[in-house]
Amino acid sequence: MNSDYAVTANALVKTFGTKRAVDGVDLAVPKGMIYGVLGPNGAGKTTTLRMLLGIIDPDSGSRTLLGESNPREASERVGYLPEERGLYPAMKAREAIAFMGALRGLPWAEGRARAATLMETAGLGAVVDNKIRKMSKGMAQLVQLLGSIVHRPELIVLDEPFSGLDPVNQENLEALILAERDRGATILFSTHVMGHAERLCDRLAIIAASKRRFEGTVEEARGTLPMRAHYVPCSGDDTVAKLLPPDAVRNGQGWRFTVPDGGPEPLLMNLIQAGHGIAGLTMERPGLHDAFVRIVNAASAGDAA
Amino acid sequence: MTRLIRQIAVIARRDFLAMVATPTFLLFLLAPLFMIGFGAVGGSGAAQLGASSAGKTRIAAIAADPEATRLQAADRTLRALYRGEEGPPVLMIVTPSADAAAQTKELFARKDVDLTAVLSGPLTTPTINFNVPSRRHGEYLATLADNVAREGRTGLALDKRIITPTIAENPSKKTSSVRGQQAAGFGAVFVIFFLTLLLAGQAVGTLAEEKSNKVIEILAASVPLEAVFLGKLIGMFGVAVLFVGFWGTLIMLGVSVLPQALPVLSGLAPAIGVPAFFILGALYFTMAYMLLGAVFLGVGAQAATIREIQMLSLPITIFQVSMFGLSAAAASNPGSSIARIAEIFPFSSPFAMAARGATDPAIWPHIVALGWQALWVAITIWIAVRLFRIGVLKSGSGWRSLFRRRAKAA
Repeated sequence: MNSDYAVTANALVKTFGTKRAVDGVDLAVPKGMIYGVLGPNGAGKTTTLRMLLGIIDPDSGSRTLLGESNPREASERVGYLPEERGLYPAMKAREAIAFMGALRGLPWAEGRARAATLMETAGLGAVVDNKIRKMSKGMAQLVQLLGSIVHRPELIVLDEPFSGLDPVNQENLEALILAERDRGATILFSTHVMGHAERLCDRLAIIAASKRRFEGTVEEARGTLPMRAHYVPCSGDDTVAKLLPPDAVRNGQGWRFTVPDGGPEPLLMNLIQAGHGIAGLTMERPGLHDAFVRIVNAASAGDAA
Repeated sequence: MTRLIRQIAVIARRDFLAMVATPTFLLFLLAPLFMIGFGAVGGSGAAQLGASSAGKTRIAAIAADPEATRLQAADRTLRALYRGEEGPPVLMIVTPSADAAAQTKELFARKDVDLTAVLSGPLTTPTINFNVPSRRHGEYLATLADNVAREGRTGLALDKRIITPTIAENPSKKTSSVRGQQAAGFGAVFVIFFLTLLLAGQAVGTLAEEKSNKVIEILAASVPLEAVFLGKLIGMFGVAVLFVGFWGTLIMLGVSVLPQALPVLSGLAPAIGVPAFFILGALYFTMAYMLLGAVFLGVGAQAATIREIQMLSLPITIFQVSMFGLSAAAASNPGSSIARIAEIFPFSSPFAMAARGATDPAIWPHIVALGWQALWVAITIWIAVRLFRIGVLKSGSGWRSLFRRRAKAA
């Protein structure tokens, strides 16, 4: 089983003082995929990633990283961009990337050569020998990201990689993540911005209130919510509301409502027979954002109960 | 193991260059110049003050010829036995007046010279007055008078020997006394203490940089924390070696152009031999640095702010001074119980064992001690890492997990 998965976690638990930050989280990240760990602030995403990487030990549960039960054994095949960005301000950008590569076993000379190429590709060719303290926050963040992939790792773990980046750099980062996946790397990243997850993730897990609440593909996540419909009747008669589901609300000329469990056909038949006709009908699939909000709210309500 | 060594080297290299490749390092390297400069200014002022007062100090003999001439001859003979400033003050001959007591009083009252003792009256029954605490000067005048009187009775001149002695160096070539060996031991303790006091204390704030700029997260994810701690310690030690090498070379050059310093140093010859003593001194300095540096690094790693690190400097200095005190006591009492305690207690062991090299020629205790100290370097780093994981990274479930990680790995 482990040979198919870059990362596995089994019932991970971590408590800080009296607060249970992670409560029995299971994960299985298939190799070669982009896997998202989604969750609201304080859900336990970062703590989970730190346990997976071996930065901290879980109170209970087990994990494997690239088949190794001790994450340290795999550290040279892993790249990591932490949530709190950290670089030595007095270091030159090229040296900083080479240093991070050297920490993961890449020879210094090769690290420097690769750093120059990577920076050139990322549009940072002009600042290769600039000190980190003289770079903008976005540039420094990009340098750190390049440092996490300079040794061409099999697994790249990115904790909130898009935070602090402008839209252009966010797009560049998305392209870089896709390129790394195409190279054969597995990417595990956390975020609470659904747009990135929707565009990038092959699979994802949603963590809320310290527990994993969902695991599957983006489509499967969206499938957890029923379809919505936007219906415009031929008549302007408000009596149509009596035939619509209870959650129907007026929306311009038409009505918006959740499609009943049995599908839209019986409802539409009733509307036609009652003489309201169909001037317009749009079926709307819920987005990952809607699914995320519903899952997180359900988790909060469940915990409160 | 190879991987761990490589990881340690990466951390050490970064830390070494981060320290050395900055303009601030020049200030650090040349800082002793300020100490030497201020010391020289203060020392020359004090020396001038001392020289001016010592130059005016005199002893006086109220005597007429031929006694006066004989007293001067006896003074020359006796004074030759003293080294440098250890001898009595210059003898001043004063022609007698009618009232010896009044003349003595006048001499003591003189402002142009500082008289400490005055001899008056006939040399067979002289009166010698002295100022407290210069009784020794009075005794010297009495001896002069006694020698002149003996010469008068026997007719044998004091500046001519009546025997023919042979004065030669010790044929056994023994070059050091017990006192000299103990002085060498104390010197070793002091030099190693002074260098670690100057250099090892810096380790306390070493991890502050990584904690403040969040690099610690990268390091902790990439390499074992043991490699981070040991690498930082070795990087800092590299800076210390550079510092010691620079100043050591300068001092050696200084000694080589001051040949008069060599006889003084030859009196400090250690029992284990000079080359072995210096090699052991270097090894024990390494161990003292690594041991105390590991403690300071571990303690400093727990500090959350620069203010906390500053607060830690006092207990750290007290700890270092107490190790020096224990080791200095060991150097003064070789073979005693206190010496054994200081040699065994890990954090005073490098100092005390360096002192032992001065008085004990055996090599094997040093091999054992170096192994013992290296073990404690490892233990100290291990504890520091565990405390850092628990206290700073919040890993494990509280203090009970101090030993759990190792158990899991097993």
